[in-house]
Amino acid sequence: MVFPATKLITLVALCVIVFIDICLASPSSLVGIESQNEIKYPFEEKLTLEPLPNNFLFASFQFLLASNDFLINKKNIDPSKFTHYTVFPKSISPILEQTDTKKLSLRFTHGLWDSKSWGKLPHNGYNSGGSGVEIWGLIEARNNTDAMSKWNQLTNQLSGLFCASIDFIDSSKTTFPSNSDVFLNNLESIPMTDPLENSLFLMRGSLANEPICTENLTPFIKLLPNREKSGIASLLDGHKVFDSFWNSMSLEVDTICSDDGICHYVLEILVETVLNVPQLLSRNKNPIPKPSTSDELRCDRSKNTDEVQCFPLPEKSNYDYHLSDLFGKKVNGNNLLSETYSKVCMVSASAENWKIFIKIGDDYFSTSDNCYNLNVDSPIDFFIETEDSSDVSVREHAPVHVSRSLTGYSQDRGGLRISFWNPSVDKNIDVVYFESLPWFMQPYLSSLSLESDANTINDELGEIIKDTYFLPAIDRKRPSHIEFQLNVPANTTITMSYQFDKPLLKYAEYPPDANHGFEIESAFIAVKGWSSDSHKKGREEIYFLRTPTLLLSLSTPDFSMPYNVIILTSTVMAMIFGMIFNMMTKRFITVQKADEIASKSKIRQLVGKLKNLKRVAS
Amino acid sequence: MSLLEKLHRRAANSGLITKAITSLPKLSKLFTIVGILWLCVYLPAEGNFRNTYFSENALMPNQAYSYFRETEWNIVRGYRSEITKIINDTDIRNTVVSDWLNDIVGVKTAIHHNSRYGDTLYGILNAQRGDGTEAMVLAAPWQNSEGDLNTSGVSVAIALLRFFSRWPVWSKNIILVLSDNSNVALRNWVEAYHTSLDLTGGSIEASIVLDYPGTSDYIDFIELYYTGLNGDLPNLDLVNVAVSVIEHEGLKVSLNGIKNFQARDFQARLETLLLGVEKMALAGVGEPIMGHECFSGWRIQSVTVKAKGDKGPADVTTFGRIVEASFRSVNNLLEKFHQSFFFYILLAPKWFISIASYLPAAIFISISYALASLNAIVNNEFSSLPMSSTHNIQALLLLGCCLIFTFVLSRGFSLVICNRGNEHTYNALMTSVLLGSQLFLSNLKSLTKLIIKPELGYRLKCFAYLFFSVVLTSLLVLNFSLSYVISILAFPMTLLVSSNSILKNKVFLIISNPFISTFIATSLIKNTLQWNIFCQLVEAWKDLGCFTWFVICIGWYTPWLMVALSDCNETLNKIEHKSNINKQE
Repeated sequence: MVFPATKLITLVALCVIVFIDICLASPSSLVGIESQNEIKYPFEEKLTLEPLPNNFLFASFQFLLASNDFLINKKNIDPSKFTHYTVFPKSISPILEQTDTKKLSLRFTHGLWDSKSWGKLPHNGYNSGGSGVEIWGLIEARNNTDAMSKWNQLTNQLSGLFCASIDFIDSSKTTFPSNSDVFLNNLESIPMTDPLENSLFLMRGSLANEPICTENLTPFIKLLPNREKSGIASLLDGHKVFDSFWNSMSLEVDTICSDDGICHYVLEILVETVLNVPQLLSRNKNPIPKPSTSDELRCDRSKNTDEVQCFPLPEKSNYDYHLSDLFGKKVNGNNLLSETYSKVCMVSASAENWKIFIKIGDDYFSTSDNCYNLNVDSPIDFFIETEDSSDVSVREHAPVHVSRSLTGYSQDRGGLRISFWNPSVDKNIDVVYFESLPWFMQPYLSSLSLESDANTINDELGEIIKDTYFLPAIDRKRPSHIEFQLNVPANTTITMSYQFDKPLLKYAEYPPDANHGFEIESAFIAVKGWSSDSHKKGREEIYFLRTPTLLLSLSTPDFSMPYNVIILTSTVMAMIFGMIFNMMTKRFITVQKADEIASKSKIRQLVGKLKNLKRVAS
Repeated sequence: MSLLEKLHRRAANSGLITKAITSLPKLSKLFTIVGILWLCVYLPAEGNFRNTYFSENALMPNQAYSYFRETEWNIVRGYRSEITKIINDTDIRNTVVSDWLNDIVGVKTAIHHNSRYGDTLYGILNAQRGDGTEAMVLAAPWQNSEGDLNTSGVSVAIALLRFFSRWPVWSKNIILVLSDNSNVALRNWVEAYHTSLDLTGGSIEASIVLDYPGTSDYIDFIELYYTGLNGDLPNLDLVNVAVSVIEHEGLKVSLNGIKNFQARDFQARLETLLLGVEKMALAGVGEPIMGHECFSGWRIQSVTVKAKGDKGPADVTTFGRIVEASFRSVNNLLEKFHQSFFFYILLAPKWFISIASYLPAAIFISISYALASLNAIVNNEFSSLPMSSTHNIQALLLLGCCLIFTFVLSRGFSLVICNRGNEHTYNALMTSVLLGSQLFLSNLKSLTKLIIKPELGYRLKCFAYLFFSVVLTSLLVLNFSLSYVISILAFPMTLLVSSNSILKNKVFLIISNPFISTFIATSLIKNTLQWNIFCQLVEAWKDLGCFTWFVICIGWYTPWLMVALSDCNETLNKIEHKSNINKQE
């Protein structure tokens, strides 16, 4: 140990405080290290299950890791000092150090979060991106160009690490969000290596509808200290995680420092999925959803029902199933590294209706708070039982619902329509609307118009948009970047729309399967001051949500057309050449003279002679 | 080169060019006859059509087994008996069905209210694994084009959506649309979907409209409708998918509802072809709107599937399986429909003529107008007048005036007609006023003292025919059938020469008048007097965006007016005679 003992202890204490701070949701702190010589393993994992309406089940796998200490100021680094890794993945920190990234968020999300019936997004939407891949980075750099080159380095390295096309996020897909105080809190507290020369750049890029599959999950599992061998990670199977209505994998790295420049990384990995329980259970029975047999039919007896007709009832509401029915596996005991036990918890309002039992061997046990510490090393299963699955804990309602759609039909122009609905009865909300459009969507801010369903406020529509930020696109280099601050009145729908042009692309700029259309990344909305609870601070105070992605159709050439054009032009060229060549090599004479010359030609004379001979013969 | 030169000399020596010029009127007639024969004799003949084929390999129709059978039949019947109770109650049926749909996992519903055209209930089944950016539409209007209640169609559609929700295979959202009727209400929903709806499910790639009135359990055969508005046709691949799926289920297909759909001989092919041309030319006007037309113009491939008969061999679930298999097939698409043909004429469910083969028919006729125009300029003693002569300028000015007049007429008449609802007597009155005024204009020569110079008369004709030829040529790429039918109906216009008797000219003028001709032609096709036809034309423009009314007014009526004007010429007769005599000498 290089550091004096007292210092280490204060550091550890600091770590603990910081951890408590960031893990407000988790009930326990990460580490509890007493002895100075003991190597610490700051790792904690937790599986939260939460029933949602319509027999959906939300499962959230949360992993928290921290790195060992390092010095932020590179000048003070002792070159002879070695770096030691315990639980923190070895692949992450060199990337962060090389690119001077202080904070990194990487999100792989797919599916539609039905906020109207499921309520708010988990973690207030902070940890989930739009459909596809989204990456945020806080990079310390001298200027924009420097930041961009570091960003490119970062995306290229992450691309290899996470088996995704993140390297396609170049300058034409990258934005520097301007409302960084909304998107990030405590910007001041983030340490810098060289505060005099450098400043921090918040950068964002995303790939809409990047297909997310098992090969993206595997790298996440590889970051965990005990892979999928033990602990709750043993449930993570690509087939099950992605067979869901909504899923999100996210990785969040923060640099946390003390005042004297000793820092460590904190890594939070979340794998979250929304499963439809009846669907999965019936698929276990029969992978093909064939029509049910006549005795399995659930008919509404209050309506005409006999042996040939059946008015179907909604799905039944009393269920019992094992967790292994949903994930195909059992939890492989406690994780082997962490100082704390792996936790499995069930969150539900009505404890009498929702029961979760732990199954070890053939025995079932239960606790009063539906939370379990996994303190055995044998396979563990859970048994979930409910009498009325519609009795679910009421998640908080989303403070705003946003829908976004393309309008128009022509190939040279189109429109975007975004509608914000504030369902609250009495509370106006402040919204930051962020949108990054590819350069081939050329918006006209002059066509921006606002509409409202409430006639009373139509006169005040001009006051809805509080602040605008617009950075126009540069062809092939920079996307359009729109940030609006709006105030949406209570119980009102505000519809914002504007028109854009669709330019022609160059022949080689069309992606493969060009006729599919172009994926437009989702817009991103941050809601400020939505919560009635004034105690919530920092990250808790802001709710994030994303709109679904869009598919833009541009005029697409028939890619075999160039060959037709080549053939046609070649023909025309050949004909012109023939004519010119003819004219250049021939003499111009009168018709009479031409006939005269023609009659003197040897062949004509021969023909004449033959004709004569014929005449003589006859 | 020398070959061309030789031909040229031969032609010059034999005076072919002068002969051709003098026989321009004959040539013009000949071209029209060739145009008619091309479509009616040449195209349906053996060897001139091709078998349809799948151009897009991703479609793979009928490759997956269809499971909409067995107990799904009970569910269809269950829904049907409930729907029978509520289908007549327009106030509650949407809300009741909306509740049913909300019970289906993953479905979001909304009602699009429209007081003028009728409400539309729609539900979006979000594709669990899809991107949510593309959609397929399953539409079942409450009332079909004949005004029958679409009970089975709606029941099958709802049962299908429930069935689809259990499948994880969808890559595109599925939108169920229940509109009040199959025309304006559905059209209005499609328009709202692309402009003002909050609940949307991405860009619509394809749509299938279900038409199955009554409560029968069995089907004899399927009628497939595909002709859209303004000459818009669905991609041939979608029609192929529908035909192949229907035939795979063991059912016969009748295209556009043709009666004689089993035969494959020359006559049957010709009938199918002519019916297709008629449907396209009259889409949105004389023909009932089946439903799929409502998607025209939004780059949505769309067909209507109509169940016919109640004997068998197939049953309700077969009807559902047709949709299931078609959706499974369209679901495979990664790109939009872009392969295959967008312009074609079907001769049988699996025989088609591509655009390259049928286009000459209309081109020949439009050439005949160009020849008539040439005839009007070269075959008289005024042919040597310079281009900038006052007559040319006068004729051009008159063309402008006629254009303005016809435009004003088209807008003005659309304000007058139909504005009192669908009051039959009023519309009949307006129609007779219009027709009467046309009769008056046809007799301009005998009823008024209007006289124009013969030079101007020839120039007017020249510009009129040329204008018409250009209109027809540009129209034939958009709506081949409309262009073709109009060019044939208007042809008597070119037969108008001063050497004819006044009566003959008058008859030619009257029968080539756009309004009179449209009235007579549609009345003949429908076998009843179509007093409502102009109201329908105007409404088709207002409600459906069908541009036939403007083609008739601006494209056809303008040249007709000019020809009618050119006819007001007493002296023309003598001069033309003289010039003919001169030429013969």
